[in-house]
Amino acid sequence: MPQFFSNKRLILLLVGVIVLVALISFSLKDRQNATLPEQIIKDVVGFGQSVFSKPAQYITGVIGNIDGILNTYEENKQLKSRLSEYAAGQVELTDIREENKRLLELIGKEDNLRQFDSIHATVISRNPDQWEEKVIVDKGKADGVEKNMAVITADGLIGKVILVTRTTSTVELLSTENLNSRVASVIADEDPVYGLTVGFDKERSELIMKRIETNTKIKVGGKVESSGLGGIFPKGLLIGEVTEVSTDDYGLTKLVYVRPAAKFTLLDHVVIVKRKSVTADGTDGSDTAGAEADEKVKSKEGEDES
Amino acid sequence: MIRFIFPLIGVLLFFFEPVFSLFSPVDIGGEQYTLVPRFVIVYLIFIAVYYSRKDAVLYGIILGLLYDMYHIDIIGLYAFLYPVICLLAVFLIKHVYRDMTTVMLLSLVMIIVLEILSYFFAGLISLTSISFGEFVTSRLLPTMIANSLYIGMFSWFFKVLFLDKDLHQQNEFM
Repeated sequence: MPQFFSNKRLILLLVGVIVLVALISFSLKDRQNATLPEQIIKDVVGFGQSVFSKPAQYITGVIGNIDGILNTYEENKQLKSRLSEYAAGQVELTDIREENKRLLELIGKEDNLRQFDSIHATVISRNPDQWEEKVIVDKGKADGVEKNMAVITADGLIGKVILVTRTTSTVELLSTENLNSRVASVIADEDPVYGLTVGFDKERSELIMKRIETNTKIKVGGKVESSGLGGIFPKGLLIGEVTEVSTDDYGLTKLVYVRPAAKFTLLDHVVIVKRKSVTADGTDGSDTAGAEADEKVKSKEGEDES
Repeated sequence: MIRFIFPLIGVLLFFFEPVFSLFSPVDIGGEQYTLVPRFVIVYLIFIAVYYSRKDAVLYGIILGLLYDMYHIDIIGLYAFLYPVICLLAVFLIKHVYRDMTTVMLLSLVMIIVLEILSYFFAGLISLTSISFGEFVTSRLLPTMIANSLYIGMFSWFFKVLFLDKDLHQQNEFM
């Protein structure tokens, strides 16, 4: 023991601890923005990372394909049974789309919360110490990605961009425990039910949608999608399906468990979504930490009051 | 040439960690198990034990800083934990006979220490709210199993690598 803690080393250790505590508190204070050296390192490491990740993803892709082939027969049977249904749905959809377009032209409304541009990206790494559910993708500022954009896969919404550098961006998944991660969402029905998707129940592996008015009727199995009322996300990105309805801790509002439509494991290709309609950027705009969240709460609360 | 091999392997392992974590969490029977690849720290422990404590601490600080900046955006956490774990490993190995099995066991124990420290830190800044019991079953144990596979596969290779280098260096000095 005396050897391990000689005077010189003790002082070195103490200085080291002090420096590190200072660094940790400095970087904890403002995690939403990266300083220039951090950005440079992220870009450089990100480049190296993508060199390693892409072959790995190719291999998992091949394994996935083999897996897919093994299941082909079963799937084919299921799909055939749904094919006729699909064709009818498709016809109806085009019909309704056309009509919608005509009607929109008629009233001269160009802005639509549903419209978005998409940027395709590849996931290059997942935070290895998985305390936070974050992945890094290979598209950044140079490709038009901005903070707070929604990120989806073919199945549905998976998260939002929380940090952007020139060539990479960090995506926080919906399965995070971070309470600042909120999505203004709606249970699509004839009379839609609005609420906020906040947080993730680890035990049930389900999302929690909160702040729903008590006098609304919610069907189990209803589809939950983003409402676009947060001012940042486009409308109509599928989040999941209602599995259970209950009340919140205070019994004032309803709380709904939502089974996420997208899977958060084995992510490879994702789409970053930029909504075409004006994004809200007032005092709560994208420059403040957790901006979108605050904004959504405000807009939501405003709505509740009115 | 041989000077660059050690850092190079360290960087390689650093890049492989997040690739492997893309497979996690694993879903078995409706339960989610988190596997945390801890390749770098095992490598650093082997450097510290078989080759040079100073080098291990240096690589630990550099790789830890990269890890902090790139992955978790909290600078200083792993840059602190990596060297501390290396020093602790060297301190412990002095008190036991240094052979292959003990070093392998030691690296497993050090992974446990690292995991527990990172759990407490994550709890402290409220990144997580899981209880200790849940942490052990859903994260620590799967991580141990996965990493012991890795240690089993690579520790022989590491040992040969470092002992060879050790010999070279001794010859040079003589």
